[in-house]
Amino acid sequence: MASSPCNSYSEPPIIEQVITEFFAKSLHIILESRSPYASSRNHSVDHFISSPSSSSSSSSSRPRDKWFNLALRDCPAALENFDLWRKSILEPLVIDVLLVHRSSASNATRLSPGGCLLRNFSGKDRFPMSPRMEELETKSDKTIERWVIQYESRKESCFGREVYSGSRKSTAASSHSSEIPTLYKKTYKRTIVMLRSLYVFVKLLPAYKIFQELNSSGRICPLSLSHRITPFVEPFTRAEDAEMNQFSFVPIDTPCGRLSLTVSYLPALEDKSSEPSTPLSTQFIMDYVGGPTTDPLKMFQSVRSAGPLPHFVSITRQHSWSNDHGFMRSGSPSPSPTYSDSQAMHCDPNVRFPPHHLHDQSPSASSVLHNASVAHKKNTSCEDYLSSSPFSPMSSPSAPTPNAFLRSESAPVNIPSPRRGRNSGLLNQALPPSSPKPQRPGCSPRTDTLRAQITTPSASQTCSPEGKLRTKKEPLRSGDFETVISLAKLQALSFGKDEVGSLPGLKCSSPHIPFSTSSSRLSLLDEFDDSEFACPFADDEDITESCNRVKLSEGKDQINENSESRGLVPVQRSPDAAVGALVQMLKTAPPLRQDLSKSVRSSQVFRGDFWNPRLQHNECMEAEVERSESPASNSGITASGLFKPRTTADALEELRIYKEMKEWLLKKGGSKSLGDSHKDKPACGGGGLEEKS
Amino acid sequence: MNCETCQLKELVVEPLEIRDVLRCILHTIVFHRALGLVRPKDVDCELFDITYVQCGDAELERKIDEKINLFIGWVEKHPNKKSQVCLSFYEVRNKQATWMFSNKTERLYWEQWYINLHVVNTKTHGKSHNSKAPINPGDNALEESSSRRASLESALREVLFQIIKFVNEKKDHIPSVTNSEVISFPYEITTPSSSDSSFGWHTDVLKRMLQTGHPSMLS
Repeated sequence: MASSPCNSYSEPPIIEQVITEFFAKSLHIILESRSPYASSRNHSVDHFISSPSSSSSSSSSRPRDKWFNLALRDCPAALENFDLWRKSILEPLVIDVLLVHRSSASNATRLSPGGCLLRNFSGKDRFPMSPRMEELETKSDKTIERWVIQYESRKESCFGREVYSGSRKSTAASSHSSEIPTLYKKTYKRTIVMLRSLYVFVKLLPAYKIFQELNSSGRICPLSLSHRITPFVEPFTRAEDAEMNQFSFVPIDTPCGRLSLTVSYLPALEDKSSEPSTPLSTQFIMDYVGGPTTDPLKMFQSVRSAGPLPHFVSITRQHSWSNDHGFMRSGSPSPSPTYSDSQAMHCDPNVRFPPHHLHDQSPSASSVLHNASVAHKKNTSCEDYLSSSPFSPMSSPSAPTPNAFLRSESAPVNIPSPRRGRNSGLLNQALPPSSPKPQRPGCSPRTDTLRAQITTPSASQTCSPEGKLRTKKEPLRSGDFETVISLAKLQALSFGKDEVGSLPGLKCSSPHIPFSTSSSRLSLLDEFDDSEFACPFADDEDITESCNRVKLSEGKDQINENSESRGLVPVQRSPDAAVGALVQMLKTAPPLRQDLSKSVRSSQVFRGDFWNPRLQHNECMEAEVERSESPASNSGITASGLFKPRTTADALEELRIYKEMKEWLLKKGGSKSLGDSHKDKPACGGGGLEEKS
Repeated sequence: MNCETCQLKELVVEPLEIRDVLRCILHTIVFHRALGLVRPKDVDCELFDITYVQCGDAELERKIDEKINLFIGWVEKHPNKKSQVCLSFYEVRNKQATWMFSNKTERLYWEQWYINLHVVNTKTHGKSHNSKAPINPGDNALEESSSRRASLESALREVLFQIIKFVNEKKDHIPSVTNSEVISFPYEITTPSSSDSSFGWHTDVLKRMLQTGHPSMLS
């Protein structure tokens, strides 16, 4: 094997190749972790899928990957630079990693004619920089790392001297050749380990963090990493040198030289790795949805121009808001469906009435209004709102209606009450607190009694005795009860006379309405239960028919008017008052009297069967019963009211009759003691029964 | 060939950090000793801002995780104790049977890495510190945790540098590569025994001594 002088490439070719590949692999490792765009573009994860056996993948590995048993990702920057540099291994390979700002050129690499790469950001460039480069040169570029890969050949290599001495050439060469594989293996193994360390080390330095961030962000950042490769080492300034930390890998001795790898790096980067993107400045969003400056306010302004919102709405909603009213000045022109529906439901009975009648209140209803002024106002405003368009101006001065409306818009609308029907709202509000005392002096006892039942004086309503009697038979449903109560109230108000059955102000007493005890319909109910308001509980046809009859009666408008006016009042009553009135009505329900009358008749008949002398009295009793029934038949209105007195009187009458009979029997007892005793037994039994009753 | 031993710097870790720390250290060491064809896999620590390198060998990963689990199990039974995890590289040599009870093969350990860990439970350990400042215990705990985590990260980084230095300084003791496997040399990960904390450890040492020959016998 021909020997070469030590000052030249004395390394065996294989060693030289190892050295050359060592340079390349080192450059590849460094640039792979410092050149973000180049490595990211060519980064292929699939190429490095971990497999249980690397031998299977070794065949697919590229030849360069096999060097040092380290298969790396593609890095064009490293490959290009190495191809230009590979001509000389005696010159060091200096790799400067730069932290570059956006204003500067992203790649400062330039080539020299000698194949060496030039610096672009230094005043000591060998080649004049173009004006463009001068413009791009900024002071923001900073060398954060410097890698120096160097092969130092021994001028006087002990191995070389021994090998290439004149007299021992043959023996040295032979020994050299025999030791080359060993040396190669050693050198190669050591370079493998060194490159392993380099691969781990490059990822521990701060610059790798910037590299990762630049790779992961994938966006144009003002900061970037660049590199420059030079064949010489430009010394740092004192300041730079003071900042740098050095780390040197243990050099690898080769037969004719030594491979060394050193790095100078900045231990800490001053927030240069921070995200260059400008963060969103915190600012208050004034025009957020739902805020005071957004549309909801404007909406209320338009509503205000249209008219104030229902007063009672504001009152009811006031508690749900703690804010002031002032900031709500506008609102959406269209109210929420739920809100409008709730209002419609709440004021439904009044919606049916023409707007112009809303404020027309009969004198009879004035007292009612006086008693329930607040509720009336609420209802009035509600009616006004509902009757008129949402944008129409309201006649009544209202308070903070925009606020109420806004409140309903911006907050969940609490639907005040479920749909009860036409009469429900009417009745509930029409029911005042229960009061057994009549509220209208000067009324007849019957009317007073009626009023006692009707706790609240409501607007007059049409009622007929037959309607009252009707209710006695069939079990009143809840809606019917409410209707009955309201009708009774209205009737009481309309009673200006002692007459029962004739209701001033209402001319709905239709002769078509038959008066019969068997009827279970309340005429009051019929009068009210017209098509203008619905009773959810009264689905009977009779009611409908009676309503129709009411419509056909005279003064339909008057009826409507009265109904409206009366309707206002019932709306004012509370549910508690309605319950109280209902209780009163139940107590005076006509069917009870009818049943009692039947029972009386049966008892009388019973007595008749066992005691003939009492037949006369039975007849008398029957006559009494008939008499008692007759006024009820004539006046269904007062039937319930007169039931109690007639029952008591009748009972007293019966008692008197029995007493007379007893005296008569006692007189005859002496002559016919035995027969009287037998006769008395049924009488006693009847009397016992009588007493029990 | 002597057995090179490297005692790594002690790390104070929490139970939740054991896995991450051990994975980082063990994989880094093995990567330096995996002289076969390797396609490195960069792995970011879960708890630290450190990227370490794995060989990409699934079997290695499985073994390491298995040992880590054993160690964690032991730590749970022996909390707040200092412990070691040993990574050993050896050679297998056929031993001449001098007597009938001897093993035919022996392990020649040529490198051992001792990972020193001090597992600390901050809940029990931190209460004593926070007892005097009960005003904002949550904030203090967070601050302490973050500072402790940062110091641990720095210490872990130093441990990795320590490994690199050791690997670079000691190269002559590495035996020759005789196979084309990724992991060129057999290795062994030893964790404290769960049976007996102290005695079990010594049992493993004795076992290793029986398996290995005298260092002077190795060439």
